[in-house]
Amino acid sequence: MTEKHLSSQFDSELNGVSSRVMELGGMVESQIHQAVYALAQFDPEAADRVMETEHRVNAMEIEIDRELSSIIARRQPTARDLRLLIAISKTTANLERVGDEANKIARMVKSIIESGSARALPSTDLRIAADMASGLLRKALDAFARLDTAAALSILKDDDLIDKEFDGFVRKLVTYMMEDPRTISASLDLLFLAKAIERIGDHAKNIAEFIIYIVKGADVRHTSMNDIEAALQ
Amino acid sequence: MSATLSQPVRSKISVKDLNFYYGKFHALKGINLEIPENKVTAFIGPSGCGKSTLLRTFNRMFELYPEQRAEGTIALDGENLLTSKQDVALIRAKVGMVFQKPTPFPMSIYDNIAFGVKLFENLSASDMDDRVEWALKKAALWTEVRDKLQQSGSGLSGGQQQRLCIARGIAIKPEVLLLDEPCSALDPISTAKIEELIAELKSEYTVVIVTHNMQQAARCSDYTAYMYLGDLIEFGATEQMFFKPQRKETEDYITGRFG
Repeated sequence: MTEKHLSSQFDSELNGVSSRVMELGGMVESQIHQAVYALAQFDPEAADRVMETEHRVNAMEIEIDRELSSIIARRQPTARDLRLLIAISKTTANLERVGDEANKIARMVKSIIESGSARALPSTDLRIAADMASGLLRKALDAFARLDTAAALSILKDDDLIDKEFDGFVRKLVTYMMEDPRTISASLDLLFLAKAIERIGDHAKNIAEFIIYIVKGADVRHTSMNDIEAALQ
Repeated sequence: MSATLSQPVRSKISVKDLNFYYGKFHALKGINLEIPENKVTAFIGPSGCGKSTLLRTFNRMFELYPEQRAEGTIALDGENLLTSKQDVALIRAKVGMVFQKPTPFPMSIYDNIAFGVKLFENLSASDMDDRVEWALKKAALWTEVRDKLQQSGSGLSGGQQQRLCIARGIAIKPEVLLLDEPCSALDPISTAKIEELIAELKSEYTVVIVTHNMQQAARCSDYTAYMYLGDLIEFGATEQMFFKPQRKETEDYITGRFG
């Protein structure tokens, strides 16, 4: 928020809740990193760390929602303040879901390790996609902090790349499974992991859409890229 | 600046190139505005922005003061009020007004309402009873005063007095009701009752309200005009004005960044 309100208390409440969203974003980002590390190294302890962070993420989500309700009730925000608070609420929900996806990856990695088939899996493609998705989330959080619509637009475009990557990966798995049915079980595990990663990209994309909503007042969900670019003019 | 309505709504009052002067002070600067019929329009803006001045031009209230003058056009259903040869009392019968402070006449509750009606209509006693009851019911005051109609209007609470003034305003069946800060002297319960009443009245009247309370404008108006230093900065549907105003000045004012 560049300009200050007459009420400095209102400013500090908005800044407080915004910085808590960033804190939540940081927690969720580290969950993804741990999950990707667990996947790459088949490290059960890294997977445990992801799951330990889960309850902190949940508590933070509840705390942010409580603060939002209190600000809305007491300040009756309007215009871009109102849009900011609605966007924070939705961003928080999306970040919590990213945490859930990271948790899902961690649980799956653990069960793959326990089944003993860890080293046999070709997980390199997945690690690349996971790095793309976590990079995208980081970009979304940076853009949110700076309310940068140009960065938001490039995130929307990048998410299309992750979606294409996912489609390609699914086709590859299908060929593996057709060639050798013994890989079906492991391939299904990989498919679920890939889906979780693809969802992280989608959540980053949602956050990018909320940035455009805050700054431009335009709801660009379920909108073609041409219309989004027009809204940003 | 000028403002037009996005939706096709019939305009009740059409203001064109209106300039207003208090002596040498230029208080309204080239206002162009269409007040939609059977809707509630709110004027908001900081003190001294001209919102009350604009409201008072709509029934030529300013003519009470010789040094004040208005130039331009204020057309009520097409007839320019500023050059009209009509008796100003008749204009004020069509365009009623309620002020910031309740101003009951020093007479009974019944006579407060009957007084204005008698100036314009010759009703039988029973018709007058009906009209008083109708106006008090419309103003959501009837159940509170039905047993004490002959008591003095000034014995009522502030909120009741204000609703009495609204009842008095609507008793003569105006076409437009102007409300100048009608709730600023009232507690939240009375305010809520008057806001309810405003919502109810718009089906039959065109209501224009001046308010310092932006949330009140947001709650009870269909259209909002933001004024500043005698200029109309922005006019639009209230929902739009409070969600994504087109002008930065409007946004700064309604979000409390105005300083």
